[in-house]
Amino acid sequence: MKKTLLLISAIAFLFTSCDKDKAIVTDITINFNHTVNGSELMTNSMIYTNEAGENYDIQTLKYLISDITLHSENGSSLLLDEVHFIDISDESTFSLTYNEVPNNNYTSISFDMGLDTAKNISNKYVNDDFHTTMFWPEPNGGGYHYMKLEGAYNNDSTFYNTHTGGTMGADYSFNHVENISLTVDNDLGDVSVNINMEINNWYNSPNQIEFSSYGMGIMMNMMMQMNIQMNGITDVFSVTVDK
Amino acid sequence: MKSLIYLLLGAILIISCKKDLAPISGCTDNIAINYNPNAITEDQSCNYFSTTPYVIETPYGFPDMKIPSDNPMTVEGIALGEKLFKDPILSADNTQACINCHQQNFSFSDPNQFSTGIDNIQGNRNASALINLGWNTSFNWDGSSLTLEEQAFEPVTNSIEMHNTWMNVEQELNSHIDYPFLFKQAFNINYIDSSHVVKAIAQFERTLISTNSKLDRYLKNEEQLTISELNGYAIFNTEKGDCFHCHSTNMFMDNLFHNNGLDIEPFIDIGRAKVTSNPLDNGKFKTPTLRNVEMTAPYMHDGRFATLEEVVEHYDSGGKYSTTVDPLMKKLGVGLQLSNQEKKDLVAYLKTLTDNEFIGSD
Repeated sequence: MKKTLLLISAIAFLFTSCDKDKAIVTDITINFNHTVNGSELMTNSMIYTNEAGENYDIQTLKYLISDITLHSENGSSLLLDEVHFIDISDESTFSLTYNEVPNNNYTSISFDMGLDTAKNISNKYVNDDFHTTMFWPEPNGGGYHYMKLEGAYNNDSTFYNTHTGGTMGADYSFNHVENISLTVDNDLGDVSVNINMEINNWYNSPNQIEFSSYGMGIMMNMMMQMNIQMNGITDVFSVTVDK
Repeated sequence: MKSLIYLLLGAILIISCKKDLAPISGCTDNIAINYNPNAITEDQSCNYFSTTPYVIETPYGFPDMKIPSDNPMTVEGIALGEKLFKDPILSADNTQACINCHQQNFSFSDPNQFSTGIDNIQGNRNASALINLGWNTSFNWDGSSLTLEEQAFEPVTNSIEMHNTWMNVEQELNSHIDYPFLFKQAFNINYIDSSHVVKAIAQFERTLISTNSKLDRYLKNEEQLTISELNGYAIFNTEKGDCFHCHSTNMFMDNLFHNNGLDIEPFIDIGRAKVTSNPLDNGKFKTPTLRNVEMTAPYMHDGRFATLEEVVEHYDSGGKYSTTVDPLMKKLGVGLQLSNQEKKDLVAYLKTLTDNEFIGSD
């Protein structure tokens, strides 16, 4: 009896130790969060004020983030997704998951807001969901909108459309790099990376943008595309990691 | 000798016995072409109608068409669908077919503001043109159907349209001289049911593809546009006219729902909100494609505009404010401020979307 018990516990121990030896895989979930002046975005309510003093609401937010990449200290990089489309009216677009991230010491994450010249080509993503929604016509340079940010300002019946993209084929996409400390090893488990867009910052520093001057469209306005790009580079995106 | 006779008799007995007792073998599947109703044992000899796959080529700038896995396109299914589409047998009094309100020379639409059903009752929405339907993700002005198969169920029993019952349709089709054979050929079925009727119609509808307009030929460098058409092309595709945000890509639609500022509240027809029950969808309707728009008058969900000039005037006015009007109508209260020539140019451009081959006049 004692012998059998011993045997059973020995076998049980064997199994358990086998389990322990097995590496825990790390899946990375990238979450896309949206804030206005630091608070979580609430659509369709005129509760926001830009630097120019205009009250506004947000009714539409659709944008493309591309080349989401982890970089490791030994110089290697891991592409998590080529193009990701986020639509504020569709929660399923607020995150993406990359399964089984290889063990490494990752020191930074980078991504592009919009599509660079190599990707911003008419009909390149014809079978993707965003093809019809983000389409940017040929007479404007072709390719895709990087972002559609729309709503009303001052009163409910005056609208602004902040549509960014490659006006006349110029590349106004920009790269955001954030240093992180992420060591993926056999014990880490799943990780979340949160990419936050601070929406109000599209309209200030260094360039204050008023809806009353530019609300009716900037798709053909190269200077405004550049100004918004600069504002974007400055402080629109931030990244945090939850381990 | 005597024994020989006995032997012979015995042999005959055995053979004849065998004949009586042996189960007849043959094809026992009643949907096979060589079905043997007397056969008791299956001998694996069944032959079935084989269908001929039909491949849809993806036009330039279009996504691949998504075809439901339970309704693959076949030459036989499409031919049957076309026959059904044109056959008044689907209506209760056998007077109306699908094609009566979706006429080919009007790009499979109805030139009347509202279509009139078999009981002389009019509907309250304009019959949609049937063009490039396979690339739509929902159907009807409010998107109430998610597939063409689902959509085809509806007009047959709608009391102000064909006002029939599916039981009656099935009865008539099953006792018809041609249909049982055609359904067997297309779907390998013996009994015609409603689900196969709508499958056949949907297959036919997926073949109604229009991509041979003057604009298509221009984009392929095969034909030149006039100065006026080119001006219209630029107005359409920039924020000056701002048509392209909804009528986007080579499909000239975005598969989305918008309130384009036609009316103030309360709306007579709440549109998309009928399906979603979301007040934010009040007054929103599905963007129609603009391909063949010259042939699909009158315009809007209620056919309120008789001409393209009236449509252009509406957008030029900037539209009317309501709580759900699309922020893309950003010139509300201001208007597009197009000159008379620019309005003419825009209409000229819209007419380059006409595909004469598609409407059967080429």
